Amino acid sequence: MLLIDLTVNGLIIGLFYALMAIGLSLIFGILRIVNFAHGEFYMIGAYAYTLIALFFGISPWLTLPCAFIAGMALGWATERLLMRPLYSGYASWGVMKDEYAVIITFALSLLLINLVDKVIGPNGYRGPSLVATTRVEIGPFMASGHRLMAAGIALLVLIAVGLFVRYSYWGRQIQAVAQNRLGASLAGIDTAKASSIVFALSGGLAALAGALLSPIINATPDVGAFPAVKSYVIVVLGGMGSIPGAAVASLILGVLESFGAVYISYGYRDTFGLVILIMVLLFRPHGLFGERSREV
Amino acid sequence: MAVIFNDTRMRDRIQLVFSLGIFALVALLPAIVRNEYWQGVLIVSMYFAMLAAAWNLLAGYTGQFSLAPAAFGMIGAYVTGLLSYHFNAPPLVGIPAAVVVAAAIGFGLGRIVLRLRGPYLALTTLSFAEICRLVISNSIEITRGDLGLNVPGIFDHRLTWYYVMLGVLVVIQLGLYFLLRAPAGLYLRAIRDDEIAAASRGVKIVLWKTNAFTLSAAISGLAGALYGHFAQFVSPELGLLSQTGIIVSMVVIGGLATLPGPIGGAFLVYVASEFLRDFGGYQLIVFALLVIIFARFFREGLWGFFRRAIERPGRRPAPAPSAAE
Repeated sequence: MLLIDLTVNGLIIGLFYALMAIGLSLIFGILRIVNFAHGEFYMIGAYAYTLIALFFGISPWLTLPCAFIAGMALGWATERLLMRPLYSGYASWGVMKDEYAVIITFALSLLLINLVDKVIGPNGYRGPSLVATTRVEIGPFMASGHRLMAAGIALLVLIAVGLFVRYSYWGRQIQAVAQNRLGASLAGIDTAKASSIVFALSGGLAALAGALLSPIINATPDVGAFPAVKSYVIVVLGGMGSIPGAAVASLILGVLESFGAVYISYGYRDTFGLVILIMVLLFRPHGLFGERSREV
Repeated sequence: MAVIFNDTRMRDRIQLVFSLGIFALVALLPAIVRNEYWQGVLIVSMYFAMLAAAWNLLAGYTGQFSLAPAAFGMIGAYVTGLLSYHFNAPPLVGIPAAVVVAAAIGFGLGRIVLRLRGPYLALTTLSFAEICRLVISNSIEITRGDLGLNVPGIFDHRLTWYYVMLGVLVVIQLGLYFLLRAPAGLYLRAIRDDEIAAASRGVKIVLWKTNAFTLSAAISGLAGALYGHFAQFVSPELGLLSQTGIIVSMVVIGGLATLPGPIGGAFLVYVASEFLRDFGGYQLIVFALLVIIFARFFREGLWGFFRRAIERPGRRPAPAPSAAE
């Protein structure tokens, strides 16, 4: 019975990880960079949800879209202001594009953490629950009502994003740019717009994850660090740039962690994911499901 | 070919003269700065200057963008700290041991990440740094975890510390200059600019990448060990990612892939952050913003402004160089 409980809880956590990891994977696919400020998109979402609900007293159902929009705005601004040199003929970084991306996203992460720390303060805020029910029992499995509702929303959003990227007009443009930026632009696709859409979408998804988890994990300035590290592990495990890979790897990591926290040491819990990350990068750099063609 | 060679040497020489100028200025500072606290601030800046110079060798000159410089500083500090805590080893044993251990770990990491580039390298070194920190803060029986270790001091006088640290920093800087002047300097830069092209011209990629990692780690370990004895205390906080962020911001603000950049950047950033601390702790916000602005618009950092100022007037301003010099 414990097995079922652990598995279902792991899958639920995995859904939230997937919200983060898919955005990160989309960004990697389209720009070939790792966004080290991804955790801060999550943090902004958590704060937007918590603080708007707290100060304006609106129903959490209305603040949830606000958090998503806040994340989208931040993601869009990041791309518009900071990522353009990566592909728009800004010559002086020339050969060191990767380094530029690391510096700029790393600095952005430091900036947002400390800005929020100064403006809002280091104390945690707890987000309001979406549903009042505190305990739902389905056979051997138990969870709070909010956790189940949030997992349901996450699942619906993930399916919507999958359909959007796979079938919609913009989604297909994004796929084209991810496969070959030059080829896509020759075919008349606005690559800059595709990049903006990807960043806005990733920011929104990460912010949504932050909002949905804020009743469980308090919003603090550095709350983004742990989901960010998890999503690095997931994206590497699933193959950088692969969206189905990221989704499956999220669920795998969620279940592994839920078992690991019970059966393996708690103190070293965070190191296991990082060791997995290094091992995958060394021995299977294209990830478990990544395409071989993506070069390392 | 020969012309380019001479040009690089010339630039390196000008840059060395500039960094020696910075050192001379710092050597004279205690005449004005009599306050022990501010002398301590300058000593800590020298610790950061060593780390920044080591990281610059790896990231700026070799193009290996590691996110683990602070971790190597922490490793160095803990080696000498643990030796003196458990075995009462004197600093004369502890510091060389710290250099050797950090170099060995740097060698290992360098071998592991040989094939990785760009974002993959950044993620691997970042995970390595976090693993080191988590292991140290969780091995409570050995390291006392987050409580940290007390380390014996070496010198009683703060000024002695001041000039010893400055001396070590000068030796490191001269060493880096002679390394860059030697063929090795060209190998490293060739690897940074185009690994495949460098290999096809006979540069031993594996050897020189590993050398760069080992040397950078050794310098960081030395810096960490000296800092541990100066502060008389080491804790896992030395290896926090925000420390890496500070080191990166020093190099980017001063000028990546230049000799005086990391040194000047370290002094400016650390001293300025002590000033800003009095105004409500806005230092990290200011530096993160500065790094973004410099990286986005002034790729060459502060050194770029100097370079343009000392270039002969009348000549057309050179277009921004393609790689780094």
